Amino acid sequence: MAPSDERTGWRARLTSPTATALFALCFVLLIGLIFSGDGAFYKWSTHRDALRQASVYGILACGMTFVIITAGIDLSVGSVLALVAVAFSILSIHKDWSPWLAVPACLAFGAACGATSGAVIARLRIQPFIVTLAMMVFARGLAKTISGGMKVSTAMQRPDGSWAAAPVPDVFKAIDSRLLGDNISVVSLIFIACIAISWIVLSRLRWGRYLYAIGGNEEAARLSGVPVVAMKILAYALAGAFSAVAGLCQAAQEQQGDPEAGIGYELTAIAIVVIGGTNLMGGRGGIGLTLLGTLTIGYLDKILSVNAVPEASRLMLTGVIIIVAVLLQRRKD
Amino acid sequence: MYTMQAVAGPTQTDTPLLAMTAICKTFGSQEVLRDVAFDLRAGELHVLAGENGAGKSTLMRILGGVIPADHGHSHINGSEVLFRNPRDAANSGVAIIHQELSLVGSMSVADNLFLGHECSTAGWLHQSDSNQRAREVLGRVGLSIDPRSAVDSLPISSQQLVEIAKALALDAQIIVMDEPTSALSEPEVRNLFARIADLKSQGCGIIYITHRLEEIYTIADRISVLRDGALVATRDRSDLPPDELVRLLVGRNISDQAPRRSVTTNDIRLQVQHCTVRATRADVPPVVEDVSFDVRRGEILGVVGLEGSGVSELLWANFGGLANRATSQITIDGSRTRINSPRDAIDAGVALVTNDRKRTGLILGMDIVQNSTLAALPRLSPFTWLNHSAETSLASESAQQLNLRAASMRQHVSTLSGGNQQKVVLAKWMGTNPRVLLLDDPTRGVDVGAKHEIYLLMNQWSEQGRSIVFSSSEWPELLQVSDRIIVMHRGRIVASFERGAATPADLLRAAMGSTRDE
Amino acid sequence: MRHAVTRTILVSLALAALSVTGCKKSTPTSNAGPANASPGAKVSYTIGMSQCNLGEPWRVQMNDDVRKAAEAHPEITMIFKDAQNDTLKQRAHVEEFVSAGVDLIIISPKEAQPLTEPVAKAMQAGIPVIVLDRRVLGDEYTCFIGADNKLIGRKAGEWIVKTLGGKGNVVELEGLMTSTPGQDRHSGFRDAIKGSDINIIFEADMKWLEPDARKEMESALSRFDNIDLVYAHNDPGAHGAYLAAQAAGRADKIKFVGIDALPQEGVVYVKQGILAATFQYPTGGAEAIDMALKILHGESVPKEITLGSRVFTKENVDAGGDPI
Repeated sequence: MAPSDERTGWRARLTSPTATALFALCFVLLIGLIFSGDGAFYKWSTHRDALRQASVYGILACGMTFVIITAGIDLSVGSVLALVAVAFSILSIHKDWSPWLAVPACLAFGAACGATSGAVIARLRIQPFIVTLAMMVFARGLAKTISGGMKVSTAMQRPDGSWAAAPVPDVFKAIDSRLLGDNISVVSLIFIACIAISWIVLSRLRWGRYLYAIGGNEEAARLSGVPVVAMKILAYALAGAFSAVAGLCQAAQEQQGDPEAGIGYELTAIAIVVIGGTNLMGGRGGIGLTLLGTLTIGYLDKILSVNAVPEASRLMLTGVIIIVAVLLQRRKD
Repeated sequence: MYTMQAVAGPTQTDTPLLAMTAICKTFGSQEVLRDVAFDLRAGELHVLAGENGAGKSTLMRILGGVIPADHGHSHINGSEVLFRNPRDAANSGVAIIHQELSLVGSMSVADNLFLGHECSTAGWLHQSDSNQRAREVLGRVGLSIDPRSAVDSLPISSQQLVEIAKALALDAQIIVMDEPTSALSEPEVRNLFARIADLKSQGCGIIYITHRLEEIYTIADRISVLRDGALVATRDRSDLPPDELVRLLVGRNISDQAPRRSVTTNDIRLQVQHCTVRATRADVPPVVEDVSFDVRRGEILGVVGLEGSGVSELLWANFGGLANRATSQITIDGSRTRINSPRDAIDAGVALVTNDRKRTGLILGMDIVQNSTLAALPRLSPFTWLNHSAETSLASESAQQLNLRAASMRQHVSTLSGGNQQKVVLAKWMGTNPRVLLLDDPTRGVDVGAKHEIYLLMNQWSEQGRSIVFSSSEWPELLQVSDRIIVMHRGRIVASFERGAATPADLLRAAMGSTRDE
Repeated sequence: MRHAVTRTILVSLALAALSVTGCKKSTPTSNAGPANASPGAKVSYTIGMSQCNLGEPWRVQMNDDVRKAAEAHPEITMIFKDAQNDTLKQRAHVEEFVSAGVDLIIISPKEAQPLTEPVAKAMQAGIPVIVLDRRVLGDEYTCFIGADNKLIGRKAGEWIVKTLGGKGNVVELEGLMTSTPGQDRHSGFRDAIKGSDINIIFEADMKWLEPDARKEMESALSRFDNIDLVYAHNDPGAHGAYLAAQAAGRADKIKFVGIDALPQEGVVYVKQGILAATFQYPTGGAEAIDMALKILHGESVPKEITLGSRVFTKENVDAGGDPI
């Protein structure tokens, strides 16, 4: 009747979300070992690149994890990424701001976008889906407005109407470089830092506990003295701030701010969180699962790419593998 | 205390309606049911009693086809049945009415009654036939409501009857009721019992699960007692006096009289003045209207009222739980205190145990430690940094005091029994070291042993000088535990009794608001 | 209940996510050459311009080209409408132009089939219609102006064969292969390299997107040690490939070729020495105004005009490229 003591046994460990997420990742890695793209999969550089490629999605997924744990959703992360990428490019390339000023300003800007969504959701009690959908459209529009509808690149128009390239800002080069003997991309390190910060917030800070409590049972949390409104605003502000981090990375890697960047990224971020095993109903999950989800999606993408699988087959394979991963999670619930 | 009579006796026949024999069930290494034999006759009400965790629910889940038994056989009307799923069970005339109702709130009563068995030809629904049939079935449970009305517009008591009607609509012969009265007021309970008597006279057999002794001795024909997975006794009601039943249930002698040593002093600890709670709709009079009362240090104040009298709202209002719907002037230990939110209340030393732990008390997906420290977290985590060892030690300390039984402190509370879940709720509030405890029906749905423990705890708290405002749906217990009782009717206090000055009948009369008229 | 529904929607969306990470087509552009002022204009004309989607920089450029050309003719009043990638909206825009009684309509249609009938109706109402870039079905329009992606692809292929001396290992990064421009730039290129010793060692669909191009190029780099040239179906794709190669320290051993040659994008990349060459995909905005004036003055115009392209290389970029 009470399956209590069984839960802690090895059988339970095997069916825990972490184990199933790990299993899904191993499954994908196994595919990589078999279809190695002429041995490319055995080279470290392939893994380094896979990690770099997945980093922007992973950073977005970190922010999404907070929101999903409170039983919410944030559809605006892709648009906020583009908005910040554009703003960062304008500040760094055209306004010559120091990165020590531009980076905090961009993070604050992203957090403010998220906090705005969060405030509307928590104070006016409107569904997160609708509010963040509105923010998604608004932020995209704002990105296009401040960029004039064009990519903000190092190309500068001379008085005579012709175009010339300004130097790429050092901060872009720094973010898009590699460390440890060329073995790891800086964006990957930024992603790992985001995971670490998220882990601290979720597992070591009172705030994180409150986010889980709100997602698990908002009314019970409120009656236990949890500041529900403030915590929801915090969750969305964090999602906004992480979107901003992703926006900085995106801009640095493209060496420009594309107002059309990040379209559809919110769905990838949600997919990563869900494949990791964090429950869309809220209250359950964790950042470790998001890390595993990011690696699963990232490697899947890389393996398909390195084998030059045609686009149409990639879509079908991705769909099948996601469904399999989600079904693995389901069995446990 | 219940005044129902004329319960039709069971019709004795040779073949019982239901016979389950040698049922065994093991989960992992835990033997949950051990060689259980259980039978039910047509026209009888068979109470299945047992503490939480004794195996009642498992037995009923096997009967309902939710899980299979490891061993054993079931016969209905003499022929063997094997249920692979709940639908098999329903087709064989078994209906289980759970404590949490399984109706679709937004759908009409008629649609709910025939859900999955709609009156239709080739997919085309016959609305008028369906409504006609619904009226007949509702008539059998004594409900005269429009079958087209939405279920969630009905009071809980009517929803319960709709659930029974749903069983009848499927021609159920065997009806299992799991604590059907836990959310009902006294008159509603009596109405339910009258309907149960009707069902019995129509030849249905009823398996009834309850924790309330009074109920058992009002309606049971036979009583079976499960303890630790084994059936320890099946007897006619008359052969099983209450003391004996309690002894069988817990396997030891306990006094079900909660001892009460009054330690009330004269210092007023909590003073509430002009408490008013608006209704959610503007055209309805306030739920609580200008209520004032005070509680002394160490006093246990009982609050009594029927469903809708505003008792719960009164407690919520003084905890800041109703936000701007409520106004109240609160004075604690002589100083005026503003309580606009639960956080204010907690900071002022007020705690609220709600009457629905799953909906408003616990975070079911969290473990025991996380739940029991949730309210005290600001104190436990300076600069918002969590201190896991401080949390664990606080939770373990509370768990020990409360005699909380769990395999591990990291167990999810959703896997605990009702009594242990309630103890987690209490642990959460002990962690905040409150001066005033507002307890809204804290013993709802917990077993006899846990109830007793909760009453002992309340005594302990009052000895520590804490003040308790306490409401309960079980009035005899409330009478034993409280130092003083106030009675509410339609949002106002209509009577007040000192300890020992009232009988349940007095309370009921006052709560029904009939003293003046009659 | 509500949550369950939301969850279902989200899961489906999330699945869709990985499939449609990009459906924008950022492409090419224009010569922005000054329009010929046509003499003897007495009356004033109103021209309606229906653009299918201003979300794409290349189409923003097209509108700019139209506007610039029209500004040289004070007798022309332009009305711009943006259908925001919505076929029905564009249909409505055409109908509004007809009922407003404009003198001429320029349309860059989103899709052929659904816009054929509104265009025919405008023609029947006596309003000439110039169709830009994408076609409508049948022949009920006055004039079609468009560039030929297949031709551009072939020119790029011929240039590559010449540059590599007829042999080498090439990576092809394709635009969305479900779109006609992607298919044409692919097949034109393949036609041109037929018979040479050029090997396509790796091809991948980067969906017109720079981050995707960079990802695919990284895969190509880890698989192949000898890559001579990357042919990308647009300039951002070529730039993404360059960044991947640069990060791998191999950018100086590989040539990069792109298409579109937007003045602030591909052309600048050539000036920076990032791209070896880029091939212009003109918008036809200026030509559309030229044709419009001819039509309005009663002169006859060809039914179909194929725009020429220009190639920009290190040598000729400062001189404005060479026609091909």
